[in-house]
Amino acid sequence: MRPLAVVGVLAVAVGLLAALDRGIAAAISPTSAVVTLIGVLGVVQGVRYANARRDRRRLLTDPGEPERRAPAAVPGSDLDEQIARVASPSPGGYRDRRDLRDRVREVAVDAVARDRNCSREAAAAAVDDGTWTEAPAAAAFFDTQSAYPLRLRLSAGIRGRSNYWYGLRAAIDAIERIEGGSS
Amino acid sequence: MSDPGNAAVASESDASTLDEAEAGEPEQDDGAEPNADDADAAEGAGDAVEGTSDATEGAGEADEGAGEAAERASETPTDRERRREVATDRWLGIAGAALALVGLGVLVRQPSLVLSGAVGVGYAVYARAGDAPTPTLSVTRSVSDEAPAPGDEVRVTVRAENVGETALPDLRLVDGVPPGLAVVDGPARVATALRPGTAVTFEYTVRAARGDHEWEPLTAITRDAAGARERETTLDAPTAIACTPELSAGGDLPLRGLTTVHHGRVPTDVGGSGVEFHATREYRRGDPLKRIDWNRRARTGELSTVELREERAATVVLLVDARESAYVAADPDAETAVEASVAAAGQAFSALLDGGDRVGVAALSPLDCWLPPGSGTVHAARGRETLATDPALAPTPSGERFYRSLWLRRFRRRLPADAQVLFFTPLVDDTAATLARRIDAHGHLVTVLSPDPTTTETAGRRLTTFERRQRLRTLRSAGIRALEWGDDSFPVAVAAATRRWSR
Repeated sequence: MRPLAVVGVLAVAVGLLAALDRGIAAAISPTSAVVTLIGVLGVVQGVRYANARRDRRRLLTDPGEPERRAPAAVPGSDLDEQIARVASPSPGGYRDRRDLRDRVREVAVDAVARDRNCSREAAAAAVDDGTWTEAPAAAAFFDTQSAYPLRLRLSAGIRGRSNYWYGLRAAIDAIERIEGGSS
Repeated sequence: MSDPGNAAVASESDASTLDEAEAGEPEQDDGAEPNADDADAAEGAGDAVEGTSDATEGAGEADEGAGEAAERASETPTDRERRREVATDRWLGIAGAALALVGLGVLVRQPSLVLSGAVGVGYAVYARAGDAPTPTLSVTRSVSDEAPAPGDEVRVTVRAENVGETALPDLRLVDGVPPGLAVVDGPARVATALRPGTAVTFEYTVRAARGDHEWEPLTAITRDAAGARERETTLDAPTAIACTPELSAGGDLPLRGLTTVHHGRVPTDVGGSGVEFHATREYRRGDPLKRIDWNRRARTGELSTVELREERAATVVLLVDARESAYVAADPDAETAVEASVAAAGQAFSALLDGGDRVGVAALSPLDCWLPPGSGTVHAARGRETLATDPALAPTPSGERFYRSLWLRRFRRRLPADAQVLFFTPLVDDTAATLARRIDAHGHLVTVLSPDPTTTETAGRRLTTFERRQRLRTLRSAGIRALEWGDDSFPVAVAAATRRWSR
């Protein structure tokens, strides 16, 4: 941009001098080609400048909504955000997935231990080998040996969701069934 | 408030009146101030506060000067803080469009097109000509009731007068409504243009809620005439309302068996005088005759004395969880768990005081809040005040960081040895449950009272609900009394729980 700026400054300087001194003005012969060239330059530069508006949004101060009371957080909304992040089938988000799985597993182990009136160790073993629930998707969520049911995988593929997301929801449903039965 | 007559004069652009307002030399006549320096005009208005102090030093004409200074005190500009100035990009590309038109005109040899391009150049110059003025406003805010009851509607009137020298062609005022209050009528903002000396007034209504509510500075957004530049300024006009709910006794909570030596209503495992049978023991000389078990005497011939369960007073500390994580609700617009906790604590406070117990208040919060246990009417008033307006129990979180170990150390140091704790917490994280167990382990019997803010609409919320239920179960299995209430009122939940709890 620097050379272009220099050319621009020079052009303006020559123009000013030409306005003051007729001799210089007379030296620049306004042939048709020169005038056309100036016109083309004007249009090109003009369109370039005007184009700067295209990708820019107007910068306005946002005063917010002082009329509304500060909204309260809803318990679990942070978890919902985390779940939304792992919903897409793209790989990655390993840490989110692991953290969520651990958290759901803790709840599942507690629920199973209470439901079967067994120790936490026995409940953890049941959760890990998939025998804690009748739902195959929920069982596969914790059991690395068994695969998700074909129907779930097809559904996930068609809807653009991850198998993990379906497994997570199935596990939470299964826990809810146990909670409902034991509470 | 400015004198309306004076404002009217100023609004008619009486230059001499304006000069007098900004010059800060009241003893001088209008005519003696013909050379007001334009360059100083903007700053001069901003320095009107200093101007008033100059007035008191007016040599030789102190009385007259003081009188005029008092008159102008109402026009003192409100303290302001410049925030930022930005280009709005409203006219971005206008110069390019103009140049393109001129170029096109040259290219097709059409003078009319070249001329129309000149119009665009005019706009480009117009956009660059002005600057967003810094407003010099005198802002006053008044409220219809400074000490409303919860739920009352409070009318707020804001008046802003342009006491500066420059006209404000585009002024937007947005009031800093306290975050704990909701506006129920009218927007708390206005858009207008103000010439020097003119004023704008706008009104809105807020619904009062528990707590001390302080208004935040009013935000003024000014733009130049073309709207190309924008300046944000904050104007500090302190206003506050204090909303202190009446305490009503409710939820006659059965306390646990940690008591003081004073007579009260908590049945203990100590035999003595009372109403409920406790045990029998061998007669000792001096035992009152009415406590001798005469049936046994008749049956066996032995003298024995009936012991009754002593009823003593307890020392109770109401601990309210007001960490940032406790400001949760089932719906973003619903009352938070802190509000539910404070309301329940208020009911328990009254009920316990009425029962003769000594009651204190503390907050599990980054801010310090401690009302030592006490009794009596003065203490009742203090408790009401603490629960209503203590900053640690404010309706919105303080935003400061909470240090658990520091808090626990300080709390234990303050807690009387015979105090038991009623811990109001939504139990949405493990910290609250851990603290309850640690306080209980230190010998201060804990009862956890938990407003339920959880819902089961989404997967994440369901998981949080299960986790909270598990915390309650873990507490109960550790021997800590735990009670939760959701849609039920606190007293109803207490009545239901009382039937379950043994002493």
